[in-house]
Amino acid sequence: MTGTHHFLTDQRIGASPIHRLDPRAKIVGFLTLTVVGVSTPATEVWAFALYYALLLFLVGLSRLPLAFVVRRAALVLPVVAVVAVFMPFFHGGGGRTFHVLGGVEVTEAGLMLLSNVLLKAALGALSAIVLGLTTSFGELIVGLDGLRVPRIFTLIVSFMYRYSFVFTEESRRMHRAMESRNYRGRWLWDAKVIGHMVSALFLRSYHRGERVYVAMISRGYDGTMPAASPPGIHSAEVVFVVCLTLALGAIRTGAAL
Amino acid sequence: MHLPDGFIDAPTAVATAGGSLVVVAYAMRRAGRLMGERTVPLLGVTAAFIFAAQMLNFPVAAGTSGHFVGAAFAAVVLGPWAAIVVMTVVVAVQAVGMADGGITALGANVLNMGVVAVLAGYLVHRALRRILPHSATGYLTSVGVAAWASVVISAALTSVELAVSGTVPLHLALPAMASVHAVIGLGEAVITITVLATVLASRPDLVRSGPLAGRIPGSRPHAHGTPGDDMAVREATDPTDDATGRPAGDATGDATTTRRRPWGFLAVALAIAVTLAVVVSPFASRAPDGLESVAEAQGFAQAGTGGWNLSPVADYRLPGISDSGLATALAGAAGTIALFAIVLLLGRSLSGRRTRVVAPPAGALHPLGGHEHTDHRHAGHSHAGHTHSTEVPEDREPHHSHTGAP
Repeated sequence: MTGTHHFLTDQRIGASPIHRLDPRAKIVGFLTLTVVGVSTPATEVWAFALYYALLLFLVGLSRLPLAFVVRRAALVLPVVAVVAVFMPFFHGGGGRTFHVLGGVEVTEAGLMLLSNVLLKAALGALSAIVLGLTTSFGELIVGLDGLRVPRIFTLIVSFMYRYSFVFTEESRRMHRAMESRNYRGRWLWDAKVIGHMVSALFLRSYHRGERVYVAMISRGYDGTMPAASPPGIHSAEVVFVVCLTLALGAIRTGAAL
Repeated sequence: MHLPDGFIDAPTAVATAGGSLVVVAYAMRRAGRLMGERTVPLLGVTAAFIFAAQMLNFPVAAGTSGHFVGAAFAAVVLGPWAAIVVMTVVVAVQAVGMADGGITALGANVLNMGVVAVLAGYLVHRALRRILPHSATGYLTSVGVAAWASVVISAALTSVELAVSGTVPLHLALPAMASVHAVIGLGEAVITITVLATVLASRPDLVRSGPLAGRIPGSRPHAHGTPGDDMAVREATDPTDDATGRPAGDATGDATTTRRRPWGFLAVALAIAVTLAVVVSPFASRAPDGLESVAEAQGFAQAGTGGWNLSPVADYRLPGISDSGLATALAGAAGTIALFAIVLLLGRSLSGRRTRVVAPPAGALHPLGGHEHTDHRHAGHSHAGHTHSTEVPEDREPHHSHTGAP
C-alpha cells in the first residue's frame, strides 16, 4: 500500500544466534509475543513497557541496527496513526473530558482507545519486522511448511514471492514511463489510464508466467518443489521459545491481577 | 482497509479468524480439485500480479487517490474459490512481509479482502449476468457493478468489525467507510472494466467467467474435455456477430429474446437495486450522535464534521427534506440510480471498441484447465499461442498508454 519496495528482502540483515534459530521457533515465538501483547488490556501501561523492553532485548540479541528497525516501522505506522488519531473524537465514551484545540471534546475513554490502538499496532508491526529481518523469506516458507500449513498455500506463496519482485519492478517502470510523459491524473475518469496499465501488467505477467511454467514442465516439474529441511529443533530453539513464553506469561499474568 | 493489530478486540479476532479459516480451507479444497498442484505456479503469478497492481494508485478527486484491490477481477478471471486462495495469499504476505495489516487481525483482513470481497463480487457478477442482456455492454456492466459492490461491501464489513470491537461506533464508522469507498469503488469499477475488456480482446481463454461461459455446451474448460475441445466448439459456431461485437454463443435460445429488449431487464435490475437502497439505507445512518451532536451543539456542523462529506449527497440525506428517514431513502435511491447510469455508460463506452471476442489461441494455458493429460498439449501449443494472440511487447509501453498523454 504505502511502502512499495522496501520489504521482503531475501537477505537476512546481519547474523546472530537469533538469525540461526529454526524458523519454526521464531515464527511461534514472535506470534506469541504479538498475540499476548494484543490481548493485554491497554490500561496496564507497565506491561506494554515490558513487552517493548523484551522486543528491544531481542533486537539487541539479534544485533540489528535499531535505526534500521525504526525506519522500517516508520513506513507502516504513520498510516495507522493517521487513522487512529480520529478515533477518540468518534468514540464518545465516558470518563473525564478534556478540551483540545478550540473546544473539541475528547473523553478519557477516547484517549485510552487511542493509546490502546497505537501501542498494539506498533507492537505487532515491530515484531513482524524483527521476524522478517532475522529470517529470510525462504526460511519462513520452510518454517510454515514445518508447522503443517497446507502445502498448496506455501507453494503459491513461494511462487508469488519470486514473481512479485519482477512484477513490482515492471509496474514501477510503467509508472515512471507514465510520469515522464507528463501524465497527471486528477479525477476519477482518469483512472482509465491506470486501467490500461493494469491490463498490460496482467497480460505481460501472465505471458511470462506461462513461459516459465512451460520451461518448468519441460525440465520435469511435477507439482512439487524440492523442500529444504529446516535446521531442526535443538536446545537453542527450546530455550528461546520457553524463555520467551515464560516471560510473556509472567507479564500477562501480572497484568491480569 | 488493512486492519492493524489492536483495532479489533479478541472475540472479533477469533471469530473472524475462525470464519476465514473454514472458508479458505474449503476454497483450497475446491480450487485444488479443479486445478491439481501442477497449475499452482500460475496462481502464484496471479497473486504476484495483484500484489504489484495494488501499488498503482488511481486518482479519485484532486489530491486524493485510491488503489486497485482486484478481488472482483480475480473472482471473474479465476472463479471464486481460486480467487479466495489468491487474495488470501496476497493479504497474508502483506501482513507478514510488509507489516501491512496486523497478524492478530489477519483473520479479519482475510475475511474482508479475501473471502467477502471475492464472494460479493462474484455473486453480484453472476446475478447481474442473469438479469442483464447478454451483450458485451451487459457483461462489462455486471463486472463494473461487481467490482464496486466488492469494495463497498468489504469496507462496510470492516466498519462492522470495528463497531463490534467497540473501537468506532457503527453509526459513525459505516457511513464514513461506505461513502469513501463508494467513491473509491468507482475507480475500482473503471479499472476492472478496462482490464477485463482488454484481456477479453486478447486472451479470452484466461477469463473463467467470460461472456461465453455457460453459453456453449462444454465451454467451461474444466467441465468436459480439454481446453482444446472447447476451442473447437467455439470455432465451429460463427466466431463473432460483427454488427454488435457480441459473441456468437449468445445467439442461441432465450438470448435472442433478451437482445430485443435489453432495457426491460435493465429496468428490473435497477428496480431491485433501488428497492434495496431504499430499504437498507435508513439503517445505515441513524440519528446523529457522538461527534455530530457535539458538532451541532458547538455550532460548527456546517464546517463538515469529520472531513468525510465528499459525496454530493452529504450524509446520505437530501437537502431540503425534513423527514430524515424519507430523505435517507431518497438519497439512497438517487445514489443507486446515478451509480447505475455511470457504470452503464462506462460499460458502453469501453465495450464498443474492445470486446470483439477473438478466437483464443489454441492450447493456451488456463489456470483451471488442469487435466493431467493436457500438459503435453500446453508445452506443444503455447508457441502457437504466442503468434496468434495480441502480444504486449515486453520492452516498451503498451500501445494504449499513450491515451494518458495530454
